[in-house]
Amino acid sequence: MIFRSLQYRIAIVFVGLLILVMALMLAMVTRSNERIVAAEMTREISAGALVFKRVIEQNRRQLETAATVLSADFAFRDAIATQDQPTIRSVLRNHGARIGAKVMMVINPAGELIADTQRGDAASSSYPVPDLLAVAETQGMSTDFKQMRDGQLYQMVLVPILAPRLIAWVAMGFPVDDRWAVDLSQMTGLTISVVRHDDKSTALLASSLDGARRLALPAELQTLAQDTPKLLSFGDEHFQTLLLPLGKSASVVLQRSLEQAEAPYRSMQNALYSIVMGAIAMFVLGSILFSRRIAGPVNQLAAVAKRIQEGDYAHPVPTLPPDEIGQLAVSLDRMRQGIAEREQKILKLAYEDTLTGLANRVRFLETFDRHPKGTPAAIAVLDLDRFAMINDALGHPIGDRLLGIVGERLANIVAPPGLVARLWGDEFAFLLMGADEAVATRFAELLHATLRAPFALDGQRLDVGGSLGIALCPQDGQDANTLLRRAELAMYLAKRKQIGFVLASGIGGDPPHEHLSLIGEMREALDRLEFVVHYQPKLDPSTGRIKTAEALLRWQHPAKGLLPPLSFIPFAEQTGFIREITPWLLGHVIAQTARWRAEGLIIVPSINISARDLLNPELVEQVRKLTAAHELPPDGICLEITESALMEDPALALEHLNQLAAYGTRISIDDYGSGQASLAYLKTLPVHELKIDQTFIRSVIDSPKDAAIVNSTILLGHALGLKVVAEGAETSADLEWLRNSGCDEVQGYGIARPMPAAELPGWIAAFAWKLHQ
Amino acid sequence: MTLKYCLAALFASCLSAQASTLEVHVSTPAGKSVEDAAVVLEPVAGIPPPREARASIAQQDRDFVPYVTIVRTGTAIDFPNRDPLKHHVYSFSSAKRFEIKLYAGKPAQPVIFDKPGEVALGCNIHDWMEAYVLVVNTPYFAKTSLQGRALLADVPPGRYRLRFWHPRQKAEPPAHEIEIGGRPAKLEQVMDVAARVFKPRQPTDAELY
Repeated sequence: MIFRSLQYRIAIVFVGLLILVMALMLAMVTRSNERIVAAEMTREISAGALVFKRVIEQNRRQLETAATVLSADFAFRDAIATQDQPTIRSVLRNHGARIGAKVMMVINPAGELIADTQRGDAASSSYPVPDLLAVAETQGMSTDFKQMRDGQLYQMVLVPILAPRLIAWVAMGFPVDDRWAVDLSQMTGLTISVVRHDDKSTALLASSLDGARRLALPAELQTLAQDTPKLLSFGDEHFQTLLLPLGKSASVVLQRSLEQAEAPYRSMQNALYSIVMGAIAMFVLGSILFSRRIAGPVNQLAAVAKRIQEGDYAHPVPTLPPDEIGQLAVSLDRMRQGIAEREQKILKLAYEDTLTGLANRVRFLETFDRHPKGTPAAIAVLDLDRFAMINDALGHPIGDRLLGIVGERLANIVAPPGLVARLWGDEFAFLLMGADEAVATRFAELLHATLRAPFALDGQRLDVGGSLGIALCPQDGQDANTLLRRAELAMYLAKRKQIGFVLASGIGGDPPHEHLSLIGEMREALDRLEFVVHYQPKLDPSTGRIKTAEALLRWQHPAKGLLPPLSFIPFAEQTGFIREITPWLLGHVIAQTARWRAEGLIIVPSINISARDLLNPELVEQVRKLTAAHELPPDGICLEITESALMEDPALALEHLNQLAAYGTRISIDDYGSGQASLAYLKTLPVHELKIDQTFIRSVIDSPKDAAIVNSTILLGHALGLKVVAEGAETSADLEWLRNSGCDEVQGYGIARPMPAAELPGWIAAFAWKLHQ
Repeated sequence: MTLKYCLAALFASCLSAQASTLEVHVSTPAGKSVEDAAVVLEPVAGIPPPREARASIAQQDRDFVPYVTIVRTGTAIDFPNRDPLKHHVYSFSSAKRFEIKLYAGKPAQPVIFDKPGEVALGCNIHDWMEAYVLVVNTPYFAKTSLQGRALLADVPPGRYRLRFWHPRQKAEPPAHEIEIGGRPAKLEQVMDVAARVFKPRQPTDAELY
């Protein structure tokens, strides 16, 4: 584990390389030394052998010369000539000592021993080394190495005694002993031993060796051939050994100790080993320190990087020396700051509404989720009134700025831990921690008071109102989504009723699970064909004919009976399920209309389109395809749109309306007069008719004001080239009034209640019949 | 060879009344004439009375001259030194041991060779110098010339033992008796003699410069 750390890896690599290099170097030095020693040994042994031969030769000459000189000594000759044994022996000893000869013998020309320094009784016995004599007789003198009776090897020199003719031979023996060997050893630089070997054994005669090696030598020599150097071992010592003949029966052994030859190289090698070991030790230490200096900062940086990985951007990276790692540290610090900044930005984007700087929906929901479960809290949803108009009239930039300053003002009235968020468009949400109904109510009042003061934008005073819905936790729900939805529903109610604010508890028990079950039921209803369409005919009062009818969606609920649209359409709109209902409705109505046409009954149905439908980009295509599929002319149907539906996204709504109008579909403004749409605004829309809100129609007889409104609306509508439809005519008086006012079409209980499609043709036939009567 | 002796003896005995001469030619078995061989006739009947006699062996040019000298027992031999340097003449031979230590000119006393036998002479300071003296008990002797010839004159008739000797003889030929008659006789003798080996001489001062 430890070897995975950078520090040790660096150290190991460097030290390993050093050891490798040193080992190679040592191996080479050792090998080269071995070669040098081997060459040196060979050289020394051959040089030694040469020196030895020279010395032996020189020795021989010297001995011969000395012997010759001695033999020519007059007194010596004189003494020999006396033939007197004691005298001769005495002079032999005396003169032999002069030249260091240990053995002296006198032999007569016939080869008989006259005198021997070693033996008193030697006279007339035969000379022990006749072969020497034979050589001397032809060559004047002779020399050889001979082993004598005492076992000792001698270098024998035989020279004549001339007076002046040969009167005798004198033989002189110089002992070949350890001293001789040591002397030669000193001269040659080699170990010198003299051995005599026969077939069976080898005897050591003299040697410069001592002790055990001296004893071991003969046995080792058994395998040795003459004149060929060979390495012999004596225990731990090794000798390069050369065997040379010495005389006829003896050999000399020249040896050079390998260990001695190696000694200077060994000491050099040992010094080298010490240096290498020292170098490695220093290198280990140095590289550990060095790698620690590298790895230390790296480890520091690793710790920093780990902190950053864990999301802690607060700790700055420590300042390091300005090397590569220091630069890395600087980069890491910049990265840390960059990440921190970007995270901040991302958080802002994720949690902040860029337009107002307020929290966004996500932040709002998360904040709510963090509040302790079960503790009281209130969620309020505010939707600005008439914002669409402002946006439309003054342009989006102004609208956006207005939202900004409204947001600022709203932010001021909520203290933390409360929160203001912009959900979308002109809808704001408030989180009021610990608020109960009383607190929430007071907040609603405070909010309205805050909004009452006009907003100034580019010198323009803008009055902005709003509708507020408040849901309380835990009474109205436990989770943010439920509470928001209920607050929104309450807000819609408040908006519809224009009563400032509504508590969610006030909109009736409509708990979330019922919503969900309702959605599920709606889906099932669609599959089971529980939805039905009823048609309410519209009467043209001037002709008394029925040309159009409003298609009204009904839900034939298996348990609850026939349900009116208001009881489920708002939820369908809110949950988005309306997107499935509307195409069904369109298809159903268009198919019915086509069937009627096929029967000869031409009816133009009005189909209610919600705000969501209008913003659905597929709507135009759906209409186009369905009418084309049923071979219905584009103006064979009419789409009814409320004013509020137009207000949500006027630009997109207008675009879709223009497309529909271009296709030829008829468009009607439903509930006209209940909203804020002005005629000036309507003028810009591609609409064909106005449908006056039934609240006005119901009281045209009793209220002159309403009558005036209706009258003027009809007049203005006509002036704009629009068809005007009155809704909610309940009595024949109403009908009469409307006919007189020039209303183009009238719809209401006074004419007919909504009826199933199957009944409509018959009803129209009966009505016509009644009229004709 | 023996046949020749017989013939010669036959001649000699026939001519024994007067003094006669004996001529001998000595050669090696290879037929080469031998110089300096001694031919000695010893009368079988008895040795004639000694006579005073004198001889001389000179030292000349660092050599003995002559190489071989034959004298009758009792002869006094002078060793005149004719070299400008000294000599040290010696003999270790049993017939006559003597030495004349470093001398120049003619020594005052000659050396009397009073015993028969051969005497090898050397010079102690010039090892190569050698000379031989054969001392005999008869007045009848001669030395072969370079041609190997020796002439013994005025030998009275009678019976003699004939001896040959040479300093480098490998073996002395056996002596035999012959009859010397009135007529000159001739003899051929074969002797195995080694060629004279001259020992290396040291150069003289003059030779060096």
